[in-house]
Amino acid sequence: CESDLDVEIRDPNITLGDQIFTSAEAYKQSLAGVYANLSLSSLTGPGGSNIGGLDAGTGQYMRGLFNLQNLSTDETIFTFENDPGIRGVQRNSASPENVLLRGVYSRAMFSVSLSNEFLRQSTDELLQSRGIGSLGDIQTYRAEVKVLKALSYYHLMDMFGKAPFYDETTEAGFTQGEELSRPELFDLVEGLLLNSLEDLPAGNSGEYGRIDQGVVHMILAKIYLNAEVYTGTPRYTEALSRSEAVINSGYQLVNDYQFNFLADNNSNGAQNEIIFPIANDGQATQNYGGTTIIIQGQVGAQEQNGEELGVNPGGFGGLFRLRPQFSEKFTLNPLFENDARNLIITEDRPISLVVTDPNTGYITTKYSNRTSTGGFGSDRTFTDADFPMFRLADAYLMYAEAHLRGGGGDLNTALNYVNSLRERAFGDTSGNIVSAQLDLNFLIDERARELYWESHRRQDLIRFGLYTGNQYVWMFKGGPSAGTSIDSFRAIYPIPSASLATNQNLTQNPGY
Amino acid sequence: GTVVDNSGMPIPGVNIAVKNTNKGTTTDFDGNYSIVLENGETLSFSYVGFRTKNIVFNGKNTSIEVSMVEDAEALSEVVVVGYGNQTVKSISGSVASVTEKDFNKGNIVTSESLIQGRVPGLSVTKGGGPGSGSEIRIRGGSSFNANNSPLIVLDGLPLDNSVADGTRSILSTINPNDIESFSVLKDASAAAIYGIRASNGVIIINTKKGRGELSVSLDVQQNITTIDNTVDVLSAGQFRTLIAENFPGRLGELGSANTNWQNEIYRDAKSSDINLSARGALFGKIPSRLSLNRSDQQGLRQTSKFDRTTASLSLNPRLFDDHLKVGLNANYSNEDNRFADGVEGNAITFDPTQPVRSPGSPYGGFFEFLDNDGSAASNVPRNPVSQLLQTRNISNADRLFGNLNLDYKFHFLPELRLVTNLGYDRTDSGGSLTRPGTSALGVNAEQGEFIGNESRYEQTRTNTSADSYFIYENDFNDFGLKLTAGYSYQKFESERFTTNEILDPNAQEPRTTVADDVVLIGYFGRANFSFQDKYFVNASIRRDGVSKFSPENRFEYFPSVSGAWILTEEDFLEDSNLINSLKVRAGWGQLGQQEVPSTSDYLRRYQTGLSNQQYNFGNTIVPFQPLYTNPDIRWEILTEINLGVDFELFNNRLSGSVDVFERTADDLLSNVPVPDGANFSNQGFQNIGEFVSKGIEVNLDYNVIRRDDLNWNVNYNFTAIDREITNLAFGQDIFVGGITGGTGNTIQVQREGAWPNSFFTYAQLYDQAGQPIEGAYADLNGDGTVDDRDRYVSGNGQADVLMGFQSNFTYKNFDFNFNLRASFGNDIYNNVNSSRAQLGNLNLVSPNNLPVQVLETGFARTPDVILSDFFVEDASFLRMDNITLGYTLRGFNRESTSLRFWMGLQNAFVITDYSGVDPELNISGIDNTIYPRGRTYLLGVNYNF
Repeated sequence: CESDLDVEIRDPNITLGDQIFTSAEAYKQSLAGVYANLSLSSLTGPGGSNIGGLDAGTGQYMRGLFNLQNLSTDETIFTFENDPGIRGVQRNSASPENVLLRGVYSRAMFSVSLSNEFLRQSTDELLQSRGIGSLGDIQTYRAEVKVLKALSYYHLMDMFGKAPFYDETTEAGFTQGEELSRPELFDLVEGLLLNSLEDLPAGNSGEYGRIDQGVVHMILAKIYLNAEVYTGTPRYTEALSRSEAVINSGYQLVNDYQFNFLADNNSNGAQNEIIFPIANDGQATQNYGGTTIIIQGQVGAQEQNGEELGVNPGGFGGLFRLRPQFSEKFTLNPLFENDARNLIITEDRPISLVVTDPNTGYITTKYSNRTSTGGFGSDRTFTDADFPMFRLADAYLMYAEAHLRGGGGDLNTALNYVNSLRERAFGDTSGNIVSAQLDLNFLIDERARELYWESHRRQDLIRFGLYTGNQYVWMFKGGPSAGTSIDSFRAIYPIPSASLATNQNLTQNPGY
Repeated sequence: GTVVDNSGMPIPGVNIAVKNTNKGTTTDFDGNYSIVLENGETLSFSYVGFRTKNIVFNGKNTSIEVSMVEDAEALSEVVVVGYGNQTVKSISGSVASVTEKDFNKGNIVTSESLIQGRVPGLSVTKGGGPGSGSEIRIRGGSSFNANNSPLIVLDGLPLDNSVADGTRSILSTINPNDIESFSVLKDASAAAIYGIRASNGVIIINTKKGRGELSVSLDVQQNITTIDNTVDVLSAGQFRTLIAENFPGRLGELGSANTNWQNEIYRDAKSSDINLSARGALFGKIPSRLSLNRSDQQGLRQTSKFDRTTASLSLNPRLFDDHLKVGLNANYSNEDNRFADGVEGNAITFDPTQPVRSPGSPYGGFFEFLDNDGSAASNVPRNPVSQLLQTRNISNADRLFGNLNLDYKFHFLPELRLVTNLGYDRTDSGGSLTRPGTSALGVNAEQGEFIGNESRYEQTRTNTSADSYFIYENDFNDFGLKLTAGYSYQKFESERFTTNEILDPNAQEPRTTVADDVVLIGYFGRANFSFQDKYFVNASIRRDGVSKFSPENRFEYFPSVSGAWILTEEDFLEDSNLINSLKVRAGWGQLGQQEVPSTSDYLRRYQTGLSNQQYNFGNTIVPFQPLYTNPDIRWEILTEINLGVDFELFNNRLSGSVDVFERTADDLLSNVPVPDGANFSNQGFQNIGEFVSKGIEVNLDYNVIRRDDLNWNVNYNFTAIDREITNLAFGQDIFVGGITGGTGNTIQVQREGAWPNSFFTYAQLYDQAGQPIEGAYADLNGDGTVDDRDRYVSGNGQADVLMGFQSNFTYKNFDFNFNLRASFGNDIYNNVNSSRAQLGNLNLVSPNNLPVQVLETGFARTPDVILSDFFVEDASFLRMDNITLGYTLRGFNRESTSLRFWMGLQNAFVITDYSGVDPELNISGIDNTIYPRGRTYLLGVNYNF
């Protein structure tokens, strides 16, 4: 009975590809699968991973982004340099073998794969043949998926400068995609975003956590603001107009700055400020990345302040601490003692760092698994706080920066935006600035104070020319304790060697 | 007279023929025989495994006592080779047979221990837990990402290679006393008849069958195992001094006790084993065997235990004038376990100045580190003693297995037989893990309170097989011919239920998972030709299919051919006294491998999110994602050439064999990277890579002394092996070998040109005094910086050379045996030291103890040294596995009764330079604490009547 060799799939959680798209709801679940890649390390359990080559939690999307965009800068240091890849990233010496880089590269490209699969499975023709009928909502899903694909290509463009091209016409398998250069990536991302805009609902409307026009404007504003870095051609006018489009999309600042980072930031008012949240839930999205690692890692080893942050007292034993140069942006000037964004713990701690000693260096309590009313998140290990990938506050600061860089707009409007953030931070106008103070030097530091640990810092420092070279040196920059200059080629990470080896079309970045 | 073996034990069933007459008889159970003889007639005594002995009757003796000598070649005059037997003479592949009388003695709980160190090319590395399994490798294994364990065939039933939940190992449920013989099919020409799963070799286990003569045997043994070695850590005094020197601010946290935590987690483990077996004719007609076994094994770790009860029944009637041979084996086994957590890590690190128990402690009276609120602190080691005593991790497994073998010789054509073998193996197991609310390891509830643990699981696994084959055997003058052709079907099913953690509301919901069935179908044929009993050619072919691969890729042919030439049958060697027997062999074959964890990568599949793996669009939605897919996934193919010679020299005093082999595993099933963005993961199983093993195996058996009351026989075996990965996907390294000390750190690499699982480290730099300089590594690629690209291959955990040596000595009623085993060229990465022996680890949330190595190195920071080759140590060793001394009383009751008393010492000593607890690790060679094996003292009695 050779037919016995055609065994059935017995696992109730696994379905054959041609049996799963039986309803419109299935398409929504598939859409959720593309979104879920930003939040989950797998669909099988907290310790699972659908990419290999590194620890499951470390390979989660937001944790990778956090490592590459924050850990490599003045913002933070990670205590356990025996974790593979950490030292290379936080001391700006990552080699192509670095597993953290591979994790980010593979995770972002997995998002591309998922998006392409969705687009492949949702063609008009297939919808008809599967009896799903009208496109309707599914047309919107397709637009969202294109934006998610653009988002991942944007991340790759920003961090690695190169990525292989795949679209829905290539069947899943072992095809080696053509290499896209940074300018080609720029065109691809821009095209995908512009192309999907009209199929999406207006900003800050529709279901929570879904992509809308506001998100598209925001990513466009980001790529235009950094266009000179990516392509050599400045696009500040578009950066300003897209920031404006975000600002005019009905978002509004939440009254309390920290509400953006709490367990109930999906309902405490912050949902109107956060343009694109990456959902986290202590029960539904358990994994060791996202805000779980940030909040658990914030807990001070000696303070044992986990309870205050809504997790178990010891947290994960003091993973993240602040580097002195960042702490000083709040501590040097007594003005910032009243700044609501100053969530730093300095007591009983030297500001200077010993990497392996979790009791040196200041720590922060910016993110929390407590709610705005003081309650706890739904679990003490896995947190509820959604990660704010983009916030309105950033759009305000981008408007101001694009204006200062010649993108047009109006100085008073820019000043108002900056001061609206200050008024929220200080509770009154005591922290407001005047137009003469509004310059690029001010903005890079203000961005640090407003947006730290939100995975923007490396990109910002590069745009301001402060990441490489020795104009700005922070502790452990480039390796030594005092910090040192780093070569300009390190403004782009190397293509991971496993990615290079498996795709002969890819070439290594210069300098590596 | 009586016929005995060289240890003085009577041999029942010896064939006694009077040459040139029709007269003959056999010995009874007690080895006794009687026969009427004429003067000058020659008695010929023959028995499988013994050299035939001829004695001329001088007309005077009324009693002829015969001591038969084992014969290395005759040892297995008939060898089980899979789907039938083959005479040893005609065998042309590399096959080793070990029968009951050569089995290892001592505390044998799992069957593979019976042949540990006995067969060149076969390595058995036992685990330390009671009843625990072993890592078994034939010729080092053939894969590095798929499976490396040989196929085990029990009475014709191929076993599932994975361990059932709640059991200790795949062989732990089998009573070793029921086993009669092992056949180890080592090379491809021998194993190709099992093509489908034979790439790691095949071990065929045959159990004892029913016989007509009545005999009863009772074995009782008692033993005690004591801990023989622990990790060298700082004493409480040294610890206080080191804290005072380095972190004086923390002196106040120390206690006043002097606790050796490793002593506290172990105990003297007592075990007993009782075995009763009876053979005889049931209803006077049906040869039968019944055996009962009870084994109670304590583990060295406190609370750990393994209790086994087995019952086996074998019925072997012959019907229709012996035309139909029926073999029914039915076995029941119950395994009752309590598992103990591996607390060695905590015992090594736990502050030695703290006591085990602390009066008034809310944690069951055990000392735990507390936080400011007085509840158990986080990120500190937990008291390893309370972890053992407060954890109740128990299981119970029922296993029912057996087979029905029908061997029918056609009435109209007796040269033709039809053999049908039906096998069944089912395990029903269940277990639970509970901890009380007073355990600091339990679920941490809302208010920071511990509420204990509770979870349960159940599993059912079945393995059914049916084989049917024809055998045609006939001689045409000088030509001998044997043809075998048949069909085989096997199916594996498995279902598991788990409650997950019941006390944690956020844990995954109770869940039943049903594994995809695995179905294997094979068609096989074999031809054995002989000419003049000196030239032999054997060929086989198997066409195999497996459900794991797509219809286009699931069937494959596995051929083999081999030949042998017995030179001593030629005129020029026929009468040599120097060379009594000489045979040369050559064989070639191809084998398959299909052991990938996923059963259906070839299909396009979607995974649905489990209850804690969902997404939020305002409300929770259950997401799904496509899974990695590889429609082209197929067999891994192993091709092997084997050349061998078997010999008996010097008037049969020295016998042995030499084999050389080269095996090439191609299309290796490897979990390797795929182009990012092309598939639904960045890595997955593909048929990529090639891997070559070459080796030589030598087996020598020497009868040092052969006298009636004094016999001394020694056996030596030697294996040398060289392995190399010759091709990998895109030449890309694969990182494996996870270690502790960092999340996701790996210490090993699969790299072209290197052995599989090679250690991948930095090259440590040393100062002029020979002291390692912390954090200083060689810039091996000379690019001016030391980074990941300066790591190099610095050894591996596998031995280049393995040796075994056995000595069997009998003098009158005494017997004395010992086994030595040696391993050379195996390295160990000492992860105990690399992750702990740094001063910085004193200063964690709680002050933690360190291995004493830190006193020599003065290393301060784990991340600066953990990937250093300093921690790769040579772990070559020589081990005295077993020594036994016995004394046998005979004929004190009835003439046939024997009573043997014996005592033994297992794991008597180890000679090694390795600094850790035990140089014998599994093949990975990463020492991150083990379940220690201990030293066992044994006492036993064997009573036969």
